[in-house]
Amino acid sequence: MTITLTINGTKTGLDCQPRDSLRTVLRKAGYKSVRFGSETGETGAAAVLVDGRLITADLMLAAQADGHEVETVEGLSSPGNLHPIQEAFIETGAIQSGYSTPAMILAAKALIARNPNPTEDDVRDALSGILDRETGYLRPVHAVLRAAAVMRGEAPESVDVVFLEPLTDVDRPEAPEADLPAIAPRVVPSSDVPETRVVGKGETKVDAIKLVKGNPAFTDDVDLSGTLVAKVLYSPHANARIVDIDDAAALALPGVHAVLHHGNVARVRYASGGQSYPNPLPYDQVSFDNRVRYVGDRVAAVAADTEEIALAAIDLINVTYEVLPAVFDENEAILDGAPVIHDEPDMEGAHDASHNLVHHIEAETGDVADGFAIADRVFEQTMRVHQVQQTPIEPHIAISAWDSDERLVITSSTQVPFHVRRMVAPLLGLPVKQIRIIKPRIGGGFGVKQEMLIEDIVGHLTIATGRPVRLELTREEEFMSSRTRHPQTITFKTGVDAGGMLTAQEMRVVANTGAYGTHGLTVQMVTGLRGLSSFNSPLKRFDCKVAYTNIPVPGAYRGYGAPQALYALEVHMEDIADELGMDAIDFRRLNWTKVGDPLDIAPQLGEGDQDASVMPMVTSCGLEEAVAQGQRAIDWDRRNDPEWRQPSDKPNIRRGLGFAMAMHGTAIPGLDMGGASLKINDDGSFNLLVGATDLGTGSDTVLAQIAAEVVGVGTDDIIVYSSDTDMTPFDVGAYASSTTYISGMATKRAAELVRTQIVARAALMLDVDADSIDLYDGAAWSADGQSVTLEKIALSTLHQEGQHQIMADASYVSPESPPPYAAQFAEVEVDIETGQVTVNRLVMAVDCGVPINPVTAAGQVEGGMIQALGYGHCEEMVYDGDGRMVNPEFGPYKIYRADEMPDVEAILVQTMEPSGPFGAKAIAEIPKDAVAPAMRNAIANATGVRIADIPFTPERVWRALQDA
Amino acid sequence: MITQYHRPLTLDDAIALIARPDAVVLAGGTTINAAPDRAASTAVDLQDLDLAGIDVEGGGVRIGATTRLQDLVDSALIPTVLRDLARREAPSTIRTMATVGGTIGTADPESELLAGLLAFGARVTLARAGSPTEHSLDDILADAGLLNGSIITAVTILTSGRAAADRVGRTPMDRPIVMAVAHSDGATARLAMTGVASVPLVVDPDHIGDLDPPPDFRGTAAYRAGLAEVLATRVLAAVEGGASA
Repeated sequence: MTITLTINGTKTGLDCQPRDSLRTVLRKAGYKSVRFGSETGETGAAAVLVDGRLITADLMLAAQADGHEVETVEGLSSPGNLHPIQEAFIETGAIQSGYSTPAMILAAKALIARNPNPTEDDVRDALSGILDRETGYLRPVHAVLRAAAVMRGEAPESVDVVFLEPLTDVDRPEAPEADLPAIAPRVVPSSDVPETRVVGKGETKVDAIKLVKGNPAFTDDVDLSGTLVAKVLYSPHANARIVDIDDAAALALPGVHAVLHHGNVARVRYASGGQSYPNPLPYDQVSFDNRVRYVGDRVAAVAADTEEIALAAIDLINVTYEVLPAVFDENEAILDGAPVIHDEPDMEGAHDASHNLVHHIEAETGDVADGFAIADRVFEQTMRVHQVQQTPIEPHIAISAWDSDERLVITSSTQVPFHVRRMVAPLLGLPVKQIRIIKPRIGGGFGVKQEMLIEDIVGHLTIATGRPVRLELTREEEFMSSRTRHPQTITFKTGVDAGGMLTAQEMRVVANTGAYGTHGLTVQMVTGLRGLSSFNSPLKRFDCKVAYTNIPVPGAYRGYGAPQALYALEVHMEDIADELGMDAIDFRRLNWTKVGDPLDIAPQLGEGDQDASVMPMVTSCGLEEAVAQGQRAIDWDRRNDPEWRQPSDKPNIRRGLGFAMAMHGTAIPGLDMGGASLKINDDGSFNLLVGATDLGTGSDTVLAQIAAEVVGVGTDDIIVYSSDTDMTPFDVGAYASSTTYISGMATKRAAELVRTQIVARAALMLDVDADSIDLYDGAAWSADGQSVTLEKIALSTLHQEGQHQIMADASYVSPESPPPYAAQFAEVEVDIETGQVTVNRLVMAVDCGVPINPVTAAGQVEGGMIQALGYGHCEEMVYDGDGRMVNPEFGPYKIYRADEMPDVEAILVQTMEPSGPFGAKAIAEIPKDAVAPAMRNAIANATGVRIADIPFTPERVWRALQDA
Repeated sequence: MITQYHRPLTLDDAIALIARPDAVVLAGGTTINAAPDRAASTAVDLQDLDLAGIDVEGGGVRIGATTRLQDLVDSALIPTVLRDLARREAPSTIRTMATVGGTIGTADPESELLAGLLAFGARVTLARAGSPTEHSLDDILADAGLLNGSIITAVTILTSGRAAADRVGRTPMDRPIVMAVAHSDGATARLAMTGVASVPLVVDPDHIGDLDPPPDFRGTAAYRAGLAEVLATRVLAAVEGGASA
């Protein structure tokens, strides 16, 4: 049928099918800002305006919009200028991945048009239909308020960094500050941090323009002619052998170009976790197996002309299964008689596959039995942490194609392009040099994309068909067939002397790695590392069994074993304090690590190549300041106020405050490596090439700031290109909170080498000594008052004299992993008649060394806390008795919306970390680590009830209250 | 999957179209387009039938069936409690498309708005071949067959009296596990609930114990029954104590 849409003011005739959604038709017409988030319409990534109303275009047929006016973000501005709403989103730091930013901007436009002076609640309601997994909604909400103010002709609130007075090591701490601007990043400065010009500022993100305009930037935004659509057939059974696959009917369907399965794809062993060579064992996967091990496991894949044909072909593949008994619980799976999940003879590297035991990790610093023997009291507790899904709003998507040189180019929403290239090569039977992986902008990663998950499928299909092939997971597939957090059963046993000091601490874990090993070894190593590093104990022991089960596969998820460990640890320490009659924070303070303390379990649980003779030590720690700042921000004294905790006017309500401490790592020492390359252009600008992977976290911007600081320019003179295996140096990718610290140091070193070359030419041109020259404001300045611009230096070196390209590259791997520290606080309200828990406030004060960009750093904390809130409060993967997920959909799987948020506040406590670029440590994962235990401890403060397991859903809390 | 699309200009044309065996009524489309059936179907789009609008009628209001939920939220003619339930029914991007008639036709067991309409004694007008018919919303939710061959054209509710709603969910804006809404005209109170049966329904406060709630992972039957007691008590106390509509 033909329809007429007036798109951004232009009447446009379009051909479409009756079934086509407005989103499909708009994207086909080139409006790539209208995006896919789910097939059931809750994400709002496809939001547009129809007749001025905000609607989600994936739930409207194009035919319904026939004759109506449609606005997309492409119509909001022309090249070179920005709409005030777009400017506000940039200025407030409201853009992380930018995937849903166009939708938010349109929501703002519609709201402001009908209500020029909206309240915060009005804005939160307007954004309620746009799900965001990254920002915690705080900055987007304030972006809209800012835009409305500007459009009313008013001056907007400041967004500049606010420096808070330190509260520790001072004679008299300052009184609490008056209301700070809501999104001004709060930084507590450290006196030993040197002055910088670009580093330490909230510089605009280098990708802000394309994200705020919805310009084509994501994997799906590029159309290659002749692209086939891929679809995957997934297993309906939790455990089964594939006895037969009959693909004849599927192949015979017109428009089907290939059907792949174990019968026609080479059986090459691998592990899909995106990690350095050699990938940790076991190698328990093949592209297509003759066995399925969870509901959602891969069976076959097709490539066809259209999505309809591909889906029809999937239905026509006739599979005969021999269904086997399944096991889902990690404790049951390792018992005698449990179904054996990996019995294939060619599997490599499980500890004891006949008992579903993938790994048995043991580490100790002496015999804990001795410590328990001398303890005054010994405490033991067991907790279980459950399975949650990561839910980036952009699902996994990859497009593969032969280029003209007959090299295979795969554009993929991946965190690990270099690992993907290396890992996919043997599966496809191609050498690494014949493969190129490109990471464009991606719409959220969190670790679910630290995996070679679907690139082998599209590669196989391109090889089989000769055509470009596109595979995008549906939201249901993203829930069931990607990667989750590892569930664990954790037992802590701690000995305490009469004074409250730890004498021994033991952590025993049974972890559930689902059907395949992937990250099963290293996540659990981090669990032990983080579970036994926060507190000094003369004797420590970690014993961890990692079990196969038939659940959808856990993998890498932001926090990577730490959220599990720190939930259990911080609950355990809280309860010990309570038993001892000690203050919750004082007890921890007595035992927590400080500068100069050894990280004594780290050498045993580190993944990389480290010098065994060197004991890692804590070299920077701002925890005391973080605790003091957080206590003040949340008004910690209310914890002991009975009137506040049990309000007389609300007899069914109890209120409480909770604390938890977090300590994380910064990259993997001796393992994570990144490279950077910098060259000057004729106008004194630079190209910075880095392998590092910006997931929306802002790493391109942070690295640009580091380079800019060294060579004396602004970030707009650094053009960043990243994450292309042909064009950029190697980088392990975005994980382990490594990018700022590792890739940042590589960038700094490359920039320093370039600086040396610039200064040498400036010295010649100015006839002065090189060491009298400083670089800033785009020029070289000598002590005697002369100057020459970088542009002149570039022209001189490129064209005029002693011609050479000023350029340099550098790599970096660190022997250390300096821990960031954080103090997490939560305020909750519990309805004791119903068990409903409401979280009213979250505050995290974090020592991440020196934040290179306080705005993006604050955004990492604000967003990470909300994701962590879901872990403790409302998210869970639920299964029926046959192992099928019953809630693979937003809604039943509940993530937080803009209109139900607690207040969130991030406070950045500076310390000068000597080993980090300009003093930086990591910040990306630590916000995930302590919200759940802080909530749990707040519920205990409110009700007196100590709940063991997450999540704190109403019936669980209600039953805990009943049982108490 | 929608293989044919029609946008009739008259109600009679629409009724003739929905007589086809594969016809689906397209109001906002938010339900149909969210879960497309693979079977071929003919969409009958109601947008040109002029069925939207909120008008004062008698002691209440008449809400046209294709009135969008956002219009309920924005209308001063709609009682405050119902405006809030309409806001809660769907987020900002969906309640601008979803309609009152569509909400009734979908009969989501967790629909707070349907419970609210029940509490306000909603009556539903159906157009069909022949004369239109009118039914209580209770009857329509109890027997979906009443909608066969018909198009909802309007919903009428009383607007005087007091109302209150309360709920339990995992988060403040979650679909409720159990929700209760009460409306009182001063003499009698009407209580409606979600999460305690396969549809939202009117509940006799003296017979809450007879409910047999269907369990799911968010609430067992026993927990839901317990919530029903607690929430019913709260909302009934609120309407007797002076909460306004």
